[in-house]
Amino acid sequence: MASRSSIEGRQGHWVEWATGGLSALLVLAMVGVIAWEALTDKRTPPELDVRLTSRFQVADGYRVTFDISNRSTTTAASVVVRGEILDGGEALEAVDVTFDYVPAESKSSGAILFSQDPGSRDVRIRALGYTDP
Amino acid sequence: MASHPAAEEDTELRQFLIGIGRGATGALLFGLPMLMTMELWQLGFYIERDRLLLLVLVNFPLLVALAHSVGFEKTYTLSQACRDAMIAYGLGILMSAIILLLFGDLKLTMPLSEVVGKIAIQAVAASIGALLGRSQLADQSGSGDATDDNDVKGEGAVKDQMSGNYGQELFLMAVGALFLNLNVAPTEEIILISYKMTAWHALVTIVASIAIMHAFVYAVSFKGTHQAPADTPWWHILVRFTLPGYIVAMAVSICVLWLFGRLDDKAITQMLMSSVVLSFPGAIGAAAARLIL
Repeated sequence: MASRSSIEGRQGHWVEWATGGLSALLVLAMVGVIAWEALTDKRTPPELDVRLTSRFQVADGYRVTFDISNRSTTTAASVVVRGEILDGGEALEAVDVTFDYVPAESKSSGAILFSQDPGSRDVRIRALGYTDP
Repeated sequence: MASHPAAEEDTELRQFLIGIGRGATGALLFGLPMLMTMELWQLGFYIERDRLLLLVLVNFPLLVALAHSVGFEKTYTLSQACRDAMIAYGLGILMSAIILLLFGDLKLTMPLSEVVGKIAIQAVAASIGALLGRSQLADQSGSGDATDDNDVKGEGAVKDQMSGNYGQELFLMAVGALFLNLNVAPTEEIILISYKMTAWHALVTIVASIAIMHAFVYAVSFKGTHQAPADTPWWHILVRFTLPGYIVAMAVSICVLWLFGRLDDKAITQMLMSSVVLSFPGAIGAAAARLIL
C-alpha cells in the first residue's frame, strides 16, 4: 500500500477536515444527549405495564398475546408474567412465561397459551417479579 | 518461456492452489470464534430474511473493495477484484458449511431455510477472513517488483488521490470495526452490559474508546508506511482520523445491531447505549485495521 504512505503527513485535503469536523459534531451531539440523560434521569425502579393485544383459538388451546412495556429508566431482567383465567376471583388456570429482558422505556411482546377457551370469563395477565440485570 | 507453456501453467496452478489454501486458513482463523457462538446459530433461523438478504448482498461489494485494497495478488482491475472477492465468498461459505457440519450444528433433517440461514450469517465473517488470509498469510518475497512499481505510481498520484486514499483509510477502518463487531454483537452480553451501564458509564466508554483509538492511530502515524513528520500536531490527526474513525465504528455498530434485531422496539437512549458498548470493540478493531492491513 505504498500509495498510502505519509497520508498523515500532508496538511490534509479539505474533505478530510470537513469529515473530521462533521464527526466531531456527531460525537459531541451524542455525548450531549447522554450527558443530558445522565444529569436529568433519576434511576426509577422498573414500572411494568401489561396490555392485551389479541386473543384467539389455536389448534389445541387458546392464545392471548400481550405487550409488556417498561416506562421507567431502568431495565428489568427475568420478568415473570402470569396469565390467569378468572372465575369469580378464583384462578381456573394459570400459565407463566418469562422475559429475559424488558428494556427501559421500551416494550416487549409475548403470548400466553391456555389449554381452554376462557369464553366470557376474565383473563388477567400481570408481571409477578423481576431481577436487576 | 514460450517453449515451456505447460511448466508455467503448472506453477500458476500451484500458486492458485496455495492461495486457496491460505484463504481457507484465513476463513478458519477469522471465522472460528463466530462458528462457535451459539447466538449466531440461533440467529440463523430467527434473523429476519430481508435483513439477512441485505447482509449477504452488501458483503459482496465490501469484499470487492477489500480485495482492491489488500488483495493477495495485486489486483489492478475491477474484474480481478471481483474474481478474488467471489473466490473468498465461496471459500467462506464452504468453510462455514464444513465446520457447522463438523460441530453437528447442521443436520440433514433441518429445513432448508435454517441451513441456509446459518451458513449465510457465518459466511460473511469467514469470507472477510478468507480474503485477509490470502493477503496476510502470503509470503512477501518475490513481490518486491510489484511493490516498487506501485511506489513509483503511488508517489506521482498522491496529490490527486488525496481524498481517494482518505476514503480507503476510512473503509479499512469500517472493515476492522465490522469484523470485531460481528464477533461480539450477537452475544447477549452486549445487551446485558448496556443494561448494567448508567449514562455516566457510557460517557466514560465514549471517551475511552476515542482515547484508545487515538493511541493506535497516533502510534501508526509514525510507523511503517504511515510516515508523518514529527511536527504534525496531535489534534490534526485526532480530527482527521480518530474522530471520523470513531463515527465509522459507531455507524457500523448501529448497522450490525439492527441486522441482528437488537434495536427493535427499543427506546432511542437504549439504542444509543448498546451502540456505545459495541463501538468500544469496534473502535479498537477500526484502529487496529490501519495497523495490520
